[in-house]
Amino acid sequence: MLKALGGFMIFAGSLGMGFWYRGQFTGRIKALRLLQTILELLCGEIRYGRGTLPECCGRVASRVPQSCGKALSQISEKMRENGGESFSDVFKTCMEGPLKEMPLTKEDREEFFLFVSENGFMDGQMQMRMIDTSRERLEEKSKRLEQENAEKCRMAVGLGAMGGLLIILILC
Amino acid sequence: MENSVLQLFPAVQRPFWEQTAIKQKELREIRLRIGQPVVVYLGNRELFLEETGCFTENIADAKYMERKELEDILEHICHYSLYAFEDELKQGFITVSGGHRVGVAGQAVAENERSIRAIKNISFLNIRISHEVKGAADEILPYIYRNGSVRSTLLISPPGCGKTTLLRDLIRQISNGNTFGEGMTVGVVDERSEIAGSFCGIPQNDVGRRTDVMDGCPKGLGMMMLLRSMSPRVIAIDELGSKEELETLRCAAACGCKILATAHGENISEVKARFDVSDNVWKQLFQLIVGLGKENDKCKIRRMWEECSGDA
Repeated sequence: MLKALGGFMIFAGSLGMGFWYRGQFTGRIKALRLLQTILELLCGEIRYGRGTLPECCGRVASRVPQSCGKALSQISEKMRENGGESFSDVFKTCMEGPLKEMPLTKEDREEFFLFVSENGFMDGQMQMRMIDTSRERLEEKSKRLEQENAEKCRMAVGLGAMGGLLIILILC
Repeated sequence: MENSVLQLFPAVQRPFWEQTAIKQKELREIRLRIGQPVVVYLGNRELFLEETGCFTENIADAKYMERKELEDILEHICHYSLYAFEDELKQGFITVSGGHRVGVAGQAVAENERSIRAIKNISFLNIRISHEVKGAADEILPYIYRNGSVRSTLLISPPGCGKTTLLRDLIRQISNGNTFGEGMTVGVVDERSEIAGSFCGIPQNDVGRRTDVMDGCPKGLGMMMLLRSMSPRVIAIDELGSKEELETLRCAAACGCKILATAHGENISEVKARFDVSDNVWKQLFQLIVGLGKENDKCKIRRMWEECSGDA
């Protein structure tokens, strides 16, 4: 009885790990899509309102999910307080927190921050182009991941189940 | 911190500008030129800044402005979004929070003979510090009113006498009401953002509680828009510049609005000659014309003409 219970728990644990990895794969795609949305909204604000980057962050804040929205709001607020920090520093500092909680790689975060690393565009078109470049890279990545995702998700769950069975067999 | 000149500079440069910020009340201008000494004007005095940020009269001790420093200042002033100030930069100046104006100069990219597309390689900044002087219009206010009603008035003076400062205070006192008349709605067309010093559409200077401001708008267009939508009882403009603006003022006056305007000139004859319109037009537009001058650093009335009946 105890053996059966132990075997069941091992199987459940390794299957659970398989599902967790599946969650990470799909979670990463969702996170990449959220970052693309943020960049699209910023572009839209610049295109139609010609607002400054801090203003655009403030306006976009209410249209994205809570943690990112709060961070964007903080960015706008901090820039308005005018402590003298650059927009690039403030943006990275405030967004770092929400991005760390998402299943994103370091490369994903760097590509999102790409548009703030280059400042000083005197032309609105160039600024939007810069934001679009970040967005396109993230979109390319998420499309690639979607194609690979289906197989990876099946494999993760399958390996989790198989791994659990193997451990049970070895222990028996 | 609000309205302090320190807000114009990025954090890394603020220690350098602290001494300058302490003297803000006397500060008129900060001149930044790449490869040249940093110059500040306190009152009428031209001073340089040392590497420590302290004032000096000795140019040999002056700190020289570097390109990166000037670019960082410009980026900070524009909230790291230069593109958002494209139109202002084409005009050659940006108005910042606090009503201060930053003039820019550099390499112009011409679009055609009459306009430029952009200014690139900006290498010169002229930061003009805004000072509102409440009470500047006290001397002139009694003459503006007759029987509790505002008279259309033209203020004339050479540049640098303080007529914009006076106009701003006049607008404020008329808008809020005073011992000579009740408060009334004033419409201001602030083409160069010098009167209200608006930032993001909000006046940084006190122009009164019943004042509406059309910021950054050409005067003729702005006056018509205000007349149609804001029902002003008084319309105020700075630096009357063309016959077309005079014409629009006539329309405003015909609608029953009183006019407050300023013009550059030593005297009324010079102003009239510049516009080349008949005396009748002036009489129809302005009941009072005031010539101003500078005395002991203050704007003073030199002479007044009442268009209906000769000198005041």
